[in-house]
Amino acid sequence: MAGSCSRIADRLLRGRSKWLLLPAIIAFAAVSMLAVSPAYAGRAASGELLFYPCSSCHPVGEGASDALPNRFEGHSVTLEGHDRLGEGDAACLTCHDDPAKDPGKLKLADGNLIDIRGDIAQVCFRCHSAKYEEFKAGAHGKNKPKCTSAGCHDPHAPGSMYADALLPFSGSGFQVKVLPEREAFTPFASPPSPPPAETPTWFSIFAAVGLVAAGGQVVRLARGRQKR
Amino acid sequence: MSASAPRRGVKRFIGIDWDFGALKTATPTYWSWVALLATFVMIGAGAWLAYFTRGGVVMGMRDDSAWGLWFTNYMYYIGLSAGGLVVYASVHLFGAEQFKPLSRLAVLQAGMLVMLALLGIISDMEMPWRAVNMLLSPNPTAPFVYTGSAASLYMVLCFIDLWVLITGFGGHKLAHNMTLIALPAAIYLHTTTAFVLAMNKSRELWHTAVMVPIFLTSATASGIALLIIFAYVVQAVTDIEFKPSMFRSLSTLLATVMIIDLFLLLVEVLHIFWPTSSAPGHAVRMAEFVTGRYAWSFLPVLILGFSAFALLARRPTRHLPAVQLTASVLYVVAIYFKRYTLMSMGFAITPLGLRAPFYVPSAVEALLAVGILAFGLLVVTLAVKVMPIEVPEHEDEHEPALDVGESLEPIGADAPDAGEVQGEPAFESGVGRL
Repeated sequence: MAGSCSRIADRLLRGRSKWLLLPAIIAFAAVSMLAVSPAYAGRAASGELLFYPCSSCHPVGEGASDALPNRFEGHSVTLEGHDRLGEGDAACLTCHDDPAKDPGKLKLADGNLIDIRGDIAQVCFRCHSAKYEEFKAGAHGKNKPKCTSAGCHDPHAPGSMYADALLPFSGSGFQVKVLPEREAFTPFASPPSPPPAETPTWFSIFAAVGLVAAGGQVVRLARGRQKR
Repeated sequence: MSASAPRRGVKRFIGIDWDFGALKTATPTYWSWVALLATFVMIGAGAWLAYFTRGGVVMGMRDDSAWGLWFTNYMYYIGLSAGGLVVYASVHLFGAEQFKPLSRLAVLQAGMLVMLALLGIISDMEMPWRAVNMLLSPNPTAPFVYTGSAASLYMVLCFIDLWVLITGFGGHKLAHNMTLIALPAAIYLHTTTAFVLAMNKSRELWHTAVMVPIFLTSATASGIALLIIFAYVVQAVTDIEFKPSMFRSLSTLLATVMIIDLFLLLVEVLHIFWPTSSAPGHAVRMAEFVTGRYAWSFLPVLILGFSAFALLARRPTRHLPAVQLTASVLYVVAIYFKRYTLMSMGFAITPLGLRAPFYVPSAVEALLAVGILAFGLLVVTLAVKVMPIEVPEHEDEHEPALDVGESLEPIGADAPDAGEVQGEPAFESGVGRL
């Protein structure tokens, strides 16, 4: 059996067939990829909507329209993790401004609003201040532009990660509930600087006096040695 | 040096003749040195008080560097104490009579160094009485329980050994039996100290089985090196004389242990970087110590270590005091760098892969460490002056050099000799040069 297989392989590689082999492999790979690709970005193979850029349906800024394009009938957002922010609309309003006024604005810690396409990591800072510092330092998030949406986390279900960093609202987002592909170990930047050590004033004075006295004794020792 | 009339100022206590009279005749230089050390002890006590009253905020240790200078010093002092036991065991277990004049000094050095190591741990506890918790509710999976108890036990053993050596109580038989207890205790101490590092699964560079043998060889080499330095210093400032043959034997022993130590270190480094063997975490972390932020602390270990070995490797010059002293100093310094490196290996990159901020000891931390060291030096300075550290010559006369086989036999006939030593008043140790 093994012998016949090797003979067939030899014949394929020696004859003209070898020129057909490469296109055949490429074609097979392409068909395989098509078979496993999702229907379109943002929708899982099951048809469930996983992620779609908000601004595609909810134009931000001037000319905002209530009508949804592409025959969308609107969709509800299910909060996971962030459901602890409140019940119903109250949870949405923790981060989003009142949709009747300005849906494209998010709330900052100081009460000001920020455009949804802006530096929305500042919104995360409201609760995740320590992680935000790490993010700003590059230790967390590997200098991705944003924490959410265009970064790694789904803002409505922060335990879910986007497979890749996405350009802001490019419309090609795809979300998976897995960690990013495992990478070889690479140390990141430093974590936030630890608080500095304190030196009590009384000890500074005590140590300074002691060190001066010690210095005097060293001089005395050196002189004694010279005399000897 | 035969029995002579008791000197003035000699007080007998626990069978030892304490020559307090020697302090009265000490030179101003001696007292200046004592005053200098006492000043640093006071500063160290102040630092401890600051730590005691203000807590960990006065120290440079933080979450990323949970252990600091005290742990570097702990490993260093524990390691250095090995030299004392090597000499002591060589004399009483293997019959290496050439080391006998050094035996009391060696055991004193070992005991004091372990005491300094323990002071480091106790000072780090902030509340010293927390040490009792280790006895009341020890965590059997924590290696520190074993190394801490081993260090305490070993310190007590060293001081009992010193007492046995000075008083001659029990003669050679007891000294021999004490060695049989102290030798396994020392190996246990160094092994468990290495376990503190090696048993940390999350600190990749610590988690290596070769840590124990490296620890043992580093400890032995640095201990012998310090003993050579200590013996030369004692010889320089007192009238105690050691034979050049003793220094030559010690230097040969040092060179042998040194190259084994360096070999093990190179094997570990090779194991980390070998292309088909290296784990990414190991290689990246170790790169910090070869070309990265901590290269300044690791490369001197290799440079100073191999330089010291090169100095002692040449037989024609090995007997020269300058060569022996230089090599010993180089290696003692190299091992300090090694201990610092060893500590940093666990903390430079956190288990989560973050580069930790560079650890710098605070002023309080540094002065506390200096104070502890000064305390050790002060006690040794006083002990060398007051205690009969010099081995009386007649001990050698009564006990001819033994080969290994003979030395392992009980020597009951030495008991009268020991009695002589016990009954002898303070010998003229001649510590009046200072």
